[in-house]
Amino acid sequence: MTKLLISLILASGLFVTQTMAYDFGKVLEDAAKKKIEAVKNGGETPAPATVPDKATSPAPETGASSATSSAATAAPPPAQPEFNWKNPSKEEEIALGREITGSLLGAAPLVKDEALQKYVNQVGRWVASQSERADLPWKFGVIESTDINAFAAPGGYVLITKGLYQKLHSEAQLAGVLGHEIAHVVKKHQLKVLQKQQLLGYGAGKLSGLFGKNDKLAKKALGTGAEISARSLDKDAEFEADRMGMVLATRAGYDTYGLADVLQTIGQTNKSDSSVALLFKTHPAPDERLARLGDSVGGSLDNIKAGKTLENRLYKLN
Amino acid sequence: MKDNLKLLILTIVTTCLAVPILALGADAGTALKTDTVRAEPFADAKTVGNINKNDSVDILNKKGAWLQIKTKKTSGWVRLLSVKRGAATASNNGKSVIDVASGRAGTGQVVSTTGIRGLSAEDLKSAKFNEEEMKKMESHTLSASDGQSFASAGGLNSVKLAYLKGAK
Repeated sequence: MTKLLISLILASGLFVTQTMAYDFGKVLEDAAKKKIEAVKNGGETPAPATVPDKATSPAPETGASSATSSAATAAPPPAQPEFNWKNPSKEEEIALGREITGSLLGAAPLVKDEALQKYVNQVGRWVASQSERADLPWKFGVIESTDINAFAAPGGYVLITKGLYQKLHSEAQLAGVLGHEIAHVVKKHQLKVLQKQQLLGYGAGKLSGLFGKNDKLAKKALGTGAEISARSLDKDAEFEADRMGMVLATRAGYDTYGLADVLQTIGQTNKSDSSVALLFKTHPAPDERLARLGDSVGGSLDNIKAGKTLENRLYKLN
Repeated sequence: MKDNLKLLILTIVTTCLAVPILALGADAGTALKTDTVRAEPFADAKTVGNINKNDSVDILNKKGAWLQIKTKKTSGWVRLLSVKRGAATASNNGKSVIDVASGRAGTGQVVSTTGIRGLSAEDLKSAKFNEEEMKKMESHTLSASDGQSFASAGGLNSVKLAYLKGAK
């Protein structure tokens, strides 16, 4: 019975494909257990003919349900689940980002403040609309962590920690931080890292070949979804995101120097403070980032009309 | 004894809070690069001197993209991206003028021992997907026109500006 279920789940398309990539054994086991429960309870028992669709329902905490929407459009034939690593579709990118972001949320949940979450989505959505990927379903969130950091994942997912949010003094600064993360998504920085791993390590650019005996290899390559966020991008990718983030915030009508202000603040944080340990490990030093921004800007923004800082509209956390 | 201890703690706390306020006259800063110091915060204002990388400066004021600074040799305005706040070897216990002015000084580094939640590389490696939180995040998704209305409400207008090239 279990074997049958596992093979059904294996055959169920995009979402499962990704889950496998991230945490093969455990997720599979959980999904199978859930499935058995469902079958026992007679609730969501899939009719054999519709197995591929239904098989996405057994593991709520592993991201199954959103995948229903993307799987509907992007799921490959059940017999050969594969993720097009060479040239992922927008839907695949979003599904991948969802997996990574959901896993980050597993490490640190959203701050329980609806008004705050709405506010960062308003600012973020407006800044993202200034980019060439305004069509993505951009999503933003503030997570419950005293760390100072922010994260982006493919497909338009952006998280900022409460620790960083509390360092902000204006909406323009928030826009600058979100702009930096939006730039990572627009330039597909994280996606490229994942692609490189896949294409270098596993040749054909499909995950289907990893099923079975190679699960340990796959796990080693990708770890859990959130692990990618603990890794460094190229330094140049960070400098590029700084430049683009600054421009995106400026395009949105904000003061150009919001991001620079935040880098100044971060630069003043004691380097031995654990709240910046991961940030400093994965990013160039704030001084270097400021200097590089200064080199790129030079006098080129001298004629830009001063934007708004909107200190008073910054949502205050209690 | 307990009272003495309380007094001692109070004294320490008061002293810590007082120090940055006393030092408010100017923020310490460090030059990130060589740059021209000008008489006014404009690119075509008269040159009055230079700063060199790692020079200590006092930051007196900020105006748009410019900082008013004072060094041992000169004083005037430089582009704000040429100077970082904080001394070169800062232990960084100090707060900036902005922190003090906005009432954040003294609260920033003080965290209660409950509810501290860092986010280390290890935490991320062992993280498990949280569907419930993901659904919550998705429930806040806004459309482009939502963003536009929010911008209009704040008087924000989009500006045309090309991306910048990376410096070599």
